[in-house]
Amino acid sequence: MALMHLSFYSAFILSSLGLAFHRTHLISALLCLESMMLSMYIALSIWPIENQSTSFTLMPVLMLTFSACEASAGLAMLVASTRTHGSDHLHNLNLLQC
Amino acid sequence: MAYFMLFLGLSFVLGSLAVASNPSPYYGVVGLVVGSVVGCGWLVSLGVSFVSLVLFMVYLGGMLVVFVYSVSLAADPFPEAWGDWRVVGYGMGLVVVVVVGVVVGGFVEWWKVGAVTVDGGGIFAVRLDFSGVAVFYSWGVGMFLVAGWGLLLALFVVLELVRGLSRGAIRAV
Repeated sequence: MALMHLSFYSAFILSSLGLAFHRTHLISALLCLESMMLSMYIALSIWPIENQSTSFTLMPVLMLTFSACEASAGLAMLVASTRTHGSDHLHNLNLLQC
Repeated sequence: MAYFMLFLGLSFVLGSLAVASNPSPYYGVVGLVVGSVVGCGWLVSLGVSFVSLVLFMVYLGGMLVVFVYSVSLAADPFPEAWGDWRVVGYGMGLVVVVVVGVVVGGFVEWWKVGAVTVDGGGIFAVRLDFSGVAVFYSWGVGMFLVAGWGLLLALFVVLELVRGLSRGAIRAV
Protein backbone atom coordinates (compact mmCIF):
# COMPACT_ATOMS: atom_id res chain seq x y z
CA MET A 1 0.00 0.00 0.00
CA ALA A 2 1.27 3.46 -0.73
CA LEU A 3 2.16 5.30 2.43
CA MET A 4 -0.28 8.18 2.01
CA HIS A 5 -3.12 5.75 1.36
CA LEU A 6 -2.29 4.12 4.67
CA SER A 7 -2.52 7.53 6.30
CA PHE A 8 -6.12 8.37 5.40
CA TYR A 9 -7.11 4.69 5.68
CA SER A 10 -6.00 4.53 9.31
CA ALA A 11 -7.54 7.96 10.00
CA PHE A 12 -10.88 6.65 8.70
CA ILE A 13 -10.63 3.46 10.76
CA LEU A 14 -9.73 5.41 13.91
CA SER A 15 -12.68 7.77 13.47
CA SER A 16 -15.09 4.90 12.90
CA LEU A 17 -13.75 3.23 16.06
CA GLY A 18 -14.39 6.48 17.89
CA LEU A 19 -17.93 6.52 16.52
CA ALA A 20 -18.53 2.91 17.57
CA PHE A 21 -17.17 3.38 21.09
CA HIS A 22 -18.72 6.77 21.80
CA ARG A 23 -18.89 7.39 25.49
CA THR A 24 -20.63 10.31 27.16
CA HIS A 25 -21.64 13.00 24.72
CA LEU A 26 -23.64 12.74 21.53
CA ILE A 27 -21.50 15.46 20.01
CA SER A 28 -18.36 13.30 20.34
CA ALA A 29 -20.01 10.81 17.98
CA LEU A 30 -20.89 13.64 15.58
CA LEU A 31 -17.27 14.87 15.66
CA CYS A 32 -16.04 11.35 14.78
CA LEU A 33 -18.50 11.35 11.87
CA GLU A 34 -17.01 14.62 10.66
CA SER A 35 -13.52 13.20 10.91
CA MET A 36 -14.60 10.22 8.79
CA MET A 37 -15.93 12.65 6.23
CA LEU A 38 -12.63 14.60 6.23
CA SER A 39 -10.58 11.49 5.52
CA MET A 40 -12.99 10.52 2.73
CA TYR A 41 -12.59 14.01 1.23
CA ILE A 42 -8.80 13.63 1.19
CA ALA A 43 -9.13 10.17 -0.37
CA LEU A 44 -11.51 11.39 -3.10
CA SER A 45 -9.17 14.33 -3.84
CA ILE A 46 -6.08 12.13 -4.20
CA TRP A 47 -7.81 9.78 -6.64
CA PRO A 48 -7.98 12.16 -9.65
CA ILE A 49 -4.43 13.33 -8.90
CA GLU A 50 -3.08 9.83 -9.20
CA ASN A 51 -5.02 9.06 -12.34
CA GLN A 52 -4.55 12.55 -13.80
CA SER A 53 -8.24 12.66 -14.68
CA THR A 54 -9.79 16.08 -14.67
CA SER A 55 -13.50 15.60 -14.22
CA PHE A 56 -13.28 13.49 -11.06
CA THR A 57 -12.08 16.49 -9.07
CA LEU A 58 -15.78 17.22 -8.80
CA MET A 59 -16.35 14.29 -6.43
CA PRO A 60 -14.90 15.71 -3.20
CA VAL A 61 -16.79 19.00 -3.62
CA LEU A 62 -20.06 17.12 -4.15
CA MET A 63 -19.38 14.93 -1.12
CA LEU A 64 -18.69 18.02 0.97
CA THR A 65 -22.09 19.41 -0.06
CA PHE A 66 -24.01 16.38 1.15
CA SER A 67 -21.87 16.10 4.26
CA ALA A 68 -22.89 19.64 5.16
CA CYS A 69 -26.54 18.55 4.96
CA GLU A 70 -25.79 15.55 7.16
CA ALA A 71 -23.92 17.62 9.74
CA SER A 72 -26.76 20.12 9.95
CA ALA A 73 -29.31 17.36 10.49
CA GLY A 74 -27.12 15.79 13.19
CA LEU A 75 -26.67 19.09 15.00
CA ALA A 76 -30.42 19.75 14.82
CA MET A 77 -31.02 16.42 16.54
CA LEU A 78 -28.40 17.35 19.13
CA VAL A 79 -30.18 20.61 19.89
CA ALA A 80 -33.57 18.86 20.01
CA SER A 81 -32.31 16.21 22.44
CA THR A 82 -30.67 18.89 24.61
CA ARG A 83 -33.97 20.75 24.80
CA THR A 84 -35.87 17.58 25.68
CA HIS A 85 -33.48 15.77 28.00
CA GLY A 86 -31.51 18.68 29.43
CA SER A 87 -28.12 17.51 28.16
CA ASP A 88 -26.72 15.45 25.32
CA HIS A 89 -25.52 12.59 27.51
CA LEU A 90 -26.11 9.33 25.74
CA HIS A 91 -27.24 7.42 28.83
CA ASN A 92 -30.27 9.74 29.04
CA LEU A 93 -31.57 8.46 25.70
CA ASN A 94 -33.06 5.33 27.25
CA LEU A 95 -36.63 5.33 25.98
CA LEU A 96 -36.24 1.82 24.59
CA GLN A 97 -34.86 0.32 27.77
CA CYS A 98 -36.96 -2.34 29.41
CA MET B 1 9.97 17.24 0.27
CA ALA B 2 8.91 13.65 0.71
CA TYR B 3 9.62 13.97 4.43
CA PHE B 4 7.25 16.93 4.58
CA MET B 5 4.52 14.81 3.00
CA LEU B 6 5.19 12.02 5.49
CA PHE B 7 4.96 14.53 8.34
CA LEU B 8 1.61 15.78 7.00
CA GLY B 9 0.31 12.23 6.70
CA LEU B 10 1.36 11.44 10.26
CA SER B 11 -0.20 14.65 11.59
CA PHE B 12 -3.45 13.77 9.83
CA VAL B 13 -3.58 10.43 11.62
CA LEU B 14 -2.71 12.06 14.96
CA GLY B 15 -5.52 14.59 14.50
CA SER B 16 -7.95 11.76 13.87
CA LEU B 17 -6.61 9.99 16.97
CA ALA B 18 -7.32 13.16 18.97
CA VAL B 19 -10.92 13.21 17.70
CA ALA B 20 -11.51 9.53 18.47
CA SER B 21 -10.00 9.52 21.96
CA ASN B 22 -11.17 12.92 23.21
CA PRO B 23 -11.77 13.21 26.96
CA SER B 24 -14.05 16.17 26.23
CA PRO B 25 -15.57 17.51 22.98
CA TYR B 26 -13.42 20.66 23.23
CA TYR B 27 -10.32 18.58 22.54
CA GLY B 28 -12.10 16.68 19.80
CA VAL B 29 -12.74 19.92 17.95
CA VAL B 30 -9.05 20.85 18.33
CA GLY B 31 -8.08 17.54 16.75
CA LEU B 32 -10.53 18.13 13.90
CA VAL B 33 -9.12 21.62 13.24
CA VAL B 34 -5.55 20.26 13.21
CA GLY B 35 -6.59 17.42 10.91
CA SER B 36 -8.30 19.70 8.41
CA VAL B 37 -5.41 22.24 8.35
CA VAL B 38 -2.94 19.41 7.76
CA GLY B 39 -5.21 17.92 5.10
CA CYS B 40 -5.33 21.26 3.29
CA GLY B 41 -1.53 21.47 3.42
CA TRP B 42 -1.38 17.93 2.03
CA LEU B 43 -3.59 18.83 -0.94
CA VAL B 44 -1.62 22.03 -1.62
CA SER B 45 1.61 20.01 -1.65
CA LEU B 46 0.11 17.77 -4.30
CA GLY B 47 -0.75 20.79 -6.44
CA VAL B 48 -4.56 20.85 -6.22
CA SER B 49 -4.98 24.17 -4.49
CA PHE B 50 -8.63 24.67 -5.43
CA VAL B 51 -10.03 21.68 -3.58
CA SER B 52 -7.78 22.62 -0.68
CA LEU B 53 -9.30 26.09 -0.52
CA VAL B 54 -12.79 24.62 -0.81
CA LEU B 55 -11.99 22.40 2.18
CA PHE B 56 -10.69 25.38 4.15
CA MET B 57 -13.61 27.65 3.52
CA VAL B 58 -16.56 25.25 3.54
CA TYR B 59 -15.37 22.68 6.08
CA LEU B 60 -13.12 24.63 8.43
CA GLY B 61 -14.77 28.01 8.08
CA GLY B 62 -18.37 26.86 7.80
CA MET B 63 -19.04 23.50 9.35
CA LEU B 64 -16.42 23.53 12.10
CA VAL B 65 -17.49 26.95 13.32
CA VAL B 66 -21.02 25.60 13.73
CA PHE B 67 -19.63 22.57 15.53
CA VAL B 68 -17.61 24.77 17.89
CA TYR B 69 -20.60 26.68 19.13
CA SER B 70 -22.67 23.51 19.33
CA VAL B 71 -19.90 22.09 21.53
CA SER B 72 -20.17 25.17 23.73
CA LEU B 73 -23.90 24.38 24.05
CA ALA B 74 -23.50 20.71 24.80
CA ALA B 75 -20.21 20.05 26.59
CA ASP B 76 -19.37 20.02 30.30
CA PRO B 77 -18.47 23.21 32.17
CA PHE B 78 -15.48 21.46 33.80
CA PRO B 79 -13.87 19.25 31.15
CA GLU B 80 -11.35 16.53 31.78
CA ALA B 81 -7.89 16.76 30.26
CA TRP B 82 -5.56 14.39 28.42
CA GLY B 83 -3.39 11.88 30.20
CA ASP B 84 -6.07 9.22 30.28
CA TRP B 85 -6.20 5.50 29.65
CA ARG B 86 -8.53 6.07 26.64
CA VAL B 87 -5.73 7.68 24.61
CA VAL B 88 -3.57 4.63 25.22
CA GLY B 89 -6.38 2.32 24.12
CA TYR B 90 -7.00 4.17 20.88
CA GLY B 91 -3.25 4.46 20.29
CA MET B 92 -3.01 0.69 20.54
CA GLY B 93 -5.86 0.41 18.02
CA LEU B 94 -3.98 2.77 15.70
CA VAL B 95 -0.83 0.64 15.92
CA VAL B 96 -2.88 -2.49 15.13
CA VAL B 97 -4.47 -0.82 12.08
CA VAL B 98 -1.11 0.37 10.78
CA VAL B 99 0.46 -3.05 11.24
CA VAL B 100 -2.47 -4.74 9.46
CA GLY B 101 -2.21 -2.24 6.61
CA VAL B 102 1.51 -2.79 6.18
CA VAL B 103 1.12 -6.58 6.33
CA VAL B 104 -1.73 -6.59 3.81
CA GLY B 105 -0.07 -4.09 1.50
CA GLY B 106 3.32 -5.59 1.77
CA PHE B 107 6.70 -3.93 1.94
CA VAL B 108 6.71 -3.14 -1.78
CA GLU B 109 8.47 0.25 -2.11
CA TRP B 110 6.88 1.47 1.08
CA TRP B 111 9.10 4.54 1.26
CA LYS B 112 7.53 6.13 -1.80
CA VAL B 113 4.79 8.65 -1.25
CA GLY B 114 2.34 7.21 -3.74
CA ALA B 115 1.03 10.25 -5.59
CA VAL B 116 2.40 12.50 -8.30
CA THR B 117 1.86 16.21 -8.36
CA VAL B 118 -0.43 18.09 -10.66
CA ASP B 119 1.33 20.70 -12.71
CA GLY B 120 0.24 20.34 -16.28
CA GLY B 121 -2.99 18.42 -16.67
CA GLY B 122 -6.28 20.11 -17.30
CA ILE B 123 -8.59 21.58 -19.92
CA PHE B 124 -7.64 24.57 -22.13
CA ALA B 125 -4.59 25.68 -20.15
CA VAL B 126 -6.47 25.71 -16.83
CA ARG B 127 -5.17 23.45 -14.07
CA LEU B 128 -6.61 20.08 -13.20
CA ASP B 129 -8.77 20.87 -10.21
CA PHE B 130 -10.02 24.26 -11.42
CA SER B 131 -11.18 22.83 -14.71
CA GLY B 132 -12.54 19.73 -13.05
CA VAL B 133 -14.79 21.59 -10.65
CA ALA B 134 -15.82 23.94 -13.45
CA VAL B 135 -17.33 20.86 -15.12
CA PHE B 136 -19.88 21.03 -12.29
CA TYR B 137 -21.54 23.97 -14.02
CA SER B 138 -21.39 22.75 -17.62
CA TRP B 139 -21.73 18.97 -17.94
CA GLY B 140 -22.71 18.25 -14.37
CA VAL B 141 -25.49 20.78 -14.13
CA GLY B 142 -28.05 18.12 -13.23
CA MET B 143 -26.04 17.13 -10.19
CA PHE B 144 -25.56 20.81 -9.37
CA LEU B 145 -29.32 21.30 -9.25
CA VAL B 146 -29.79 18.16 -7.16
CA ALA B 147 -27.15 19.32 -4.66
CA GLY B 148 -28.71 22.78 -4.43
CA TRP B 149 -32.14 21.25 -3.89
CA GLY B 150 -30.70 18.98 -1.19
CA LEU B 151 -29.17 21.92 0.65
CA LEU B 152 -32.47 23.84 0.52
CA LEU B 153 -34.27 20.75 1.80
CA ALA B 154 -31.77 20.43 4.66
CA LEU B 155 -32.78 23.90 5.85
CA PHE B 156 -36.40 22.81 6.17
CA VAL B 157 -35.38 19.53 7.80
CA VAL B 158 -33.49 21.43 10.49
CA LEU B 159 -36.44 23.78 10.98
CA GLU B 160 -38.82 20.90 11.55
CA LEU B 161 -36.44 19.02 13.86
CA VAL B 162 -36.02 21.89 16.30
CA ARG B 163 -39.53 23.29 16.11
CA GLY B 164 -40.65 21.62 19.31
CA LEU B 165 -43.64 21.55 21.58
CA SER B 166 -46.14 19.59 19.50
CA ARG B 167 -45.00 19.60 15.91
CA GLY B 168 -41.37 18.51 16.27
CA ALA B 169 -40.11 14.96 15.83
CA ILE B 170 -38.23 14.59 19.09
CA ARG B 171 -39.60 17.12 21.54
CA ALA B 172 -41.96 15.42 23.95
CA VAL B 173 -42.42 18.00 26.68
